[in-house]
Amino acid sequence: MSLEADLGIFVMSIAAGLIGSLAGVGGGILVIPVLTTFFGVDIRLAVGASIVSVIATSSGAASAYVRDRVTDMRVGMFLELATTTGAVCGALLAAVVAPAFLYLLLGAVVLLSAGMQMSRLAEEFPPQLAASRLALALKLSSSYPDRRLGLEVPYSARRIPLGFVLMWIAGAVSGLLGIGSGVLKVLAMDTAMRLPMKVSSATSNFMIGVTAAASAGIYLGRGDVDPRIAAPVALGVLLGAVIGARLLHHVSNRSVRLIFVPVLIAVGLEMIGRGLGLSI
Amino acid sequence: MNPERFRVMVSTVLLVGVSVSALLIAAGFAAAFAVGWQGSLAGAAPAVPALDATDFADLPSRLLTMEPLAISQLGLLTLLATPVLRVAASVVGFALEGDRLYTGITLLVLCVLLASIFVLR
Repeated sequence: MSLEADLGIFVMSIAAGLIGSLAGVGGGILVIPVLTTFFGVDIRLAVGASIVSVIATSSGAASAYVRDRVTDMRVGMFLELATTTGAVCGALLAAVVAPAFLYLLLGAVVLLSAGMQMSRLAEEFPPQLAASRLALALKLSSSYPDRRLGLEVPYSARRIPLGFVLMWIAGAVSGLLGIGSGVLKVLAMDTAMRLPMKVSSATSNFMIGVTAAASAGIYLGRGDVDPRIAAPVALGVLLGAVIGARLLHHVSNRSVRLIFVPVLIAVGLEMIGRGLGLSI
Repeated sequence: MNPERFRVMVSTVLLVGVSVSALLIAAGFAAAFAVGWQGSLAGAAPAVPALDATDFADLPSRLLTMEPLAISQLGLLTLLATPVLRVAASVVGFALEGDRLYTGITLLVLCVLLASIFVLR
């Protein structure tokens, strides 16, 4: 890897961090194909760099999102219980489940949800209903300040058991396939639990770092993290994520969805491609 | 601890973790432009000449010879540790807030996380 290529990777990573921090995903979906296609990086090292990029996006943007009360820390911590145990089970299951089948299944789910997101594009806030008994017991009702509209927007988590199960699956998938699964996390919070889009993406952003940290040690030990690639990726993604965290306040929930949909389509197609044995 | 201070604490842990790791990675990256990834800022020959860049072993001794690679590796390790520190800080925060339910939930998450890093290989 030449130092000139390192500079190219750095610039590409800024874009990945920017999109990832706004959409609540790790940016691995952008980092991996660009590294392998344009920079000829070995897929193994590209995945190692992607894990680093997930943690960088998460930590870089979460600092601002937490301070500005867009991240719901209780929702995040409660659901991390599902994602971390799911990730451990997924890592243990990796030996007995055929990944090709999983990729195809997930790809189909993700593409379907892209369609659902499109139909919901016009929705700025989910309908406000009275908090359920479970939401009260788990304190999963709160509000976030929408600076663009100058409003304090109240919300309450719906269908909490379904959200928890979906999060467990998201964790298991990241343990199995070694991906951040931010896409599945946003879908669980937005579609199943009906949290506002910005809260869903900021809370997903908060959570993906922990999911990735659980598998990062394994990648590091395996020798998949090469600083010559991971260093420019980490720096670029951090910078992009910090810029993204400032931008979130000035865009609408609808715009966040508009950024999220192409990410969904790209992830869905990549998974189906992997399931069919095509290398991307 | 009121919710506002709790948020500031968690936010600060993330900010410090990210800043320290970014500074270290950037220092290593910049040094690589000067002496190459495998060089040494101390002017000495690298301890292990044909070192594999993905090997994080012997980090302390390689840091002493100021290898750009080792400085970046330390930064990457700091970055990987940041989410774990964030969860640990949340345990303290919920405990100080007197929220037993969430202290328990967060502690459980921390245990699963540490187990996945140190036990499951």
